[in-house]
Amino acid sequence: MRSFVPPLSRMLVWPSLIIALALWLKGGTEVGGGFPAGALAGLVVLLQYVVTGREQARRYVAVRYAAPLAGVGLLLVVGTAFLPVLAGYTPVSLFPRPGQPGLGAGAFHLHTALVFEGGLMLIVFGLVVTVIDRFALSTSTEEESGP
Amino acid sequence: MPLLLPILLALACAPLAYVAGRWRPGAAAWVGASLAVASLVALGWELTLGPARLVLPWAPTWGLSLEFTRDGLSGLYAVMALSVGALVVLYSRAYLPHHLELKHRPARDEVRFHVLMLSFMAAMVLLVTVDDLLLLFVALDLTTIVSYLLIGYDRDDPESRAAALLSLVLTGATSVVFFAGAMTLGLQYGTFSLPLVFERAATSPASTGALVCLAVGALGKSAQVPFHFWLPRAMAAPTPVSSYLHSAAMVAAGVFLLQRLYPLFAPAVAVRDGLLALGFLSMAVGSLLALVADPFKRVLAYSTIAQYGYALVLVALGSEGAPLYVAAHAPCKAALFLTVGAVTQVTGSKKLSQVSGLRHSLPVLAGASAVAAAGLAALPLTVGFFKDEVFFHALVQKGPAFMAAGLVGAGLTLAYTLRLWWGLFGGARQDVPAAPRLLVAPVVVLAASVLAGGLLPGLLVAPARAAASASMTRGEPATLELAYHLDARAENLLAMGAWALGAVLFATRLAWTPGLARVLDGTSRFGPEHGYRLLLHQLDRLSTWLHELEVRDLRDRVASVLVPTGLLGLTVLWVTPLRHRFIPGTVGWADLTLVMALAFASAAALATLRARGHLVLVMLISCVGFSLAMVFAFAAAPDVALTSVLVETTFTLLFAGLLALLPDRRLARAQQEAQQPRDRDRFSAGIAGVSGFLLSWSALSHLEADRVGTQTVKLAEVAHSPNVVAAVLTDFRGLDTVGEMSVVVAALLGVTSLLGLKGKR
Repeated sequence: MRSFVPPLSRMLVWPSLIIALALWLKGGTEVGGGFPAGALAGLVVLLQYVVTGREQARRYVAVRYAAPLAGVGLLLVVGTAFLPVLAGYTPVSLFPRPGQPGLGAGAFHLHTALVFEGGLMLIVFGLVVTVIDRFALSTSTEEESGP
Repeated sequence: MPLLLPILLALACAPLAYVAGRWRPGAAAWVGASLAVASLVALGWELTLGPARLVLPWAPTWGLSLEFTRDGLSGLYAVMALSVGALVVLYSRAYLPHHLELKHRPARDEVRFHVLMLSFMAAMVLLVTVDDLLLLFVALDLTTIVSYLLIGYDRDDPESRAAALLSLVLTGATSVVFFAGAMTLGLQYGTFSLPLVFERAATSPASTGALVCLAVGALGKSAQVPFHFWLPRAMAAPTPVSSYLHSAAMVAAGVFLLQRLYPLFAPAVAVRDGLLALGFLSMAVGSLLALVADPFKRVLAYSTIAQYGYALVLVALGSEGAPLYVAAHAPCKAALFLTVGAVTQVTGSKKLSQVSGLRHSLPVLAGASAVAAAGLAALPLTVGFFKDEVFFHALVQKGPAFMAAGLVGAGLTLAYTLRLWWGLFGGARQDVPAAPRLLVAPVVVLAASVLAGGLLPGLLVAPARAAASASMTRGEPATLELAYHLDARAENLLAMGAWALGAVLFATRLAWTPGLARVLDGTSRFGPEHGYRLLLHQLDRLSTWLHELEVRDLRDRVASVLVPTGLLGLTVLWVTPLRHRFIPGTVGWADLTLVMALAFASAAALATLRARGHLVLVMLISCVGFSLAMVFAFAAAPDVALTSVLVETTFTLLFAGLLALLPDRRLARAQQEAQQPRDRDRFSAGIAGVSGFLLSWSALSHLEADRVGTQTVKLAEVAHSPNVVAAVLTDFRGLDTVGEMSVVVAALLGVTSLLGLKGKR
């Protein structure tokens, strides 16, 4: 009998990623944020590794380049934090500044905090996926199942 | 920001030299040196514009800014660092290929040397230009680190590595003491900006402790007694390093610091008297050792100790000539170092006893180094004459005893300089191949500058006065005079006496050298170098003992983290004077769900104690985590609860995956150990647990609902982020988040490399 789990896990990828994206984008006003978004995206990848194995999971580009993505995330975080210094602001000055009018609708607002949170998301995602990948690489020569 | 132009040019030297070196190794030195000259030109143009300051605030809420100054003192030292630096880099172009060949290293390693030299030059320029206590410390440590790499340039040579480590430990440790002094001053005056500190120090003098700390940092850098012994050892470095770091740069940094901070030292007579005594002591120790040392570079190293002793005396006496002294000494000493480097290259020997009579084979070098030696020995018609003139001038005002000490010191200087020059170039003829032109040219240029300063003293007056008025006279115009006077004034008599003494000592050297060598050899066994070795040995033993305590087994390793942390927490609770430290609080029916979830978490935590098998353990621990997520959900913290659930899930799966990587035998043994705790395991667990419990209780007893709750919500709304958690994370505590995320990425790199290693095995 064919198991229904592998197709189901594959079907879950895009909805979960969209939820992660939503968690990131509305993090400023409602429940969410970059950290849970990254963790959720990492979990989806973890599911792929558990169900379909390393080879199949690495078909996704973002999985193959997870560690560089974390680097990009760190650049975003550091950039958001310290680029304002060049313009004479204190570190971690976010724009629009308090008191300035903001742009946006509903739960979504244009704010440099979004870039910052995006950096967090990439770092968390990169960490989780890289660790999984290394575990999978180290165990692949041994038995299929876990402990 | 014109003030930054020379600094930026100096900073650009090293990277551009590296790029040029990638293209063609030989080009690195030329590119670096020409940029250094460009920086020098820019600096010269700047100095014609008069004094200026530049302030770049980087954390204004803490009153921290990058402050730079352009005054006579920084100008003098920067010119010195840049000009000697450029010459030495060119010299290294000729010196290094031969050196690398002797050490069996590839020729492209030359680039690394030039890059390090130019980085050192940039650090030095930065050090003399900054006008802020914190930046001063940063630049000081930059020079220390680069000097470590430079002295240890011959990586394969154990002696060179040991010398580099010694200089790093001594100058690094003393610069930490300097930092302590700087912090004390910063706290005392509420600012790190030097002009503000000086202004406030005028009404309330700096504490003696802080001044002593600053002085220790300077003494360590300038290789003064009792920290002097790193300098002779550092002669293991390639000669260009010695000729730059140990004449015009690294050792000058210490005396520079004292001059820069002189307004703080001026009222502290006791500290200055201490510095005076150390200065005379360094003069005596350095001069005597220089009289008997056999390797050329050692003679020069001991001479540097003595000469910076002079400079220290001048600073301690508050003489206007202190900056001039350092500036006049630098080209003489650099030229002599370069000379002995060239001699070593053409003869292959490093000791005075192995060479003689080189004047026939190396006439140009002999002539140029004779001028430099005359400068060092303060003979007339060289710039060195004026360094001793200001020295004697300062001593004459103090009285006969000081004059006698100065006379003896200057006499010894002439004696060891004569001994060195005559040892190299005088005596029985030795024929050697001619030296490459590029090795001789920098010496000639330096000798020409020594001569020019001596023939036209009027040129020196303006820079020397500018430097003095920026440091020693605290803003008052300086009245320094430099001219030859053909009369019987005290300075002239002292100089004549010193020459006579030096000549007599040199003429009779064969009679007393062996005896002096024996005496100095005997006393060196009780010197500070011995103390240093002893201290290092004891520290090594302590560290080994602690290490063995820690790595006995896994449980001890965990305890070595938990017990100190727990003790620290308990100490904090012990010393903080909080009234009503532990408040029980109240529990109502509305909290029922919360209490239930907490009880579940506690039960799961207790169950881990009896867990058999690691998988069960992982499940129980994640059970604790999920229950806590539930607690957060009930406590109306959906953001934390969501993150908690996601992290818990990830953690559980990864932990289970990790178990698959561990060998079964290890797991079984760990399981067995965990079931039989030893007394010390119970003890360390107890300390950690009690400390954690009390700290949490104490913290939760003092929540200020208004500050933590209402205010944060209000501020979050203003910051365009109604989600309070997000506002705290990205805005209020944004810098913390940046730090944490850097740690996460560092952990990621660690995981990648560690598990990568396992994969390869």
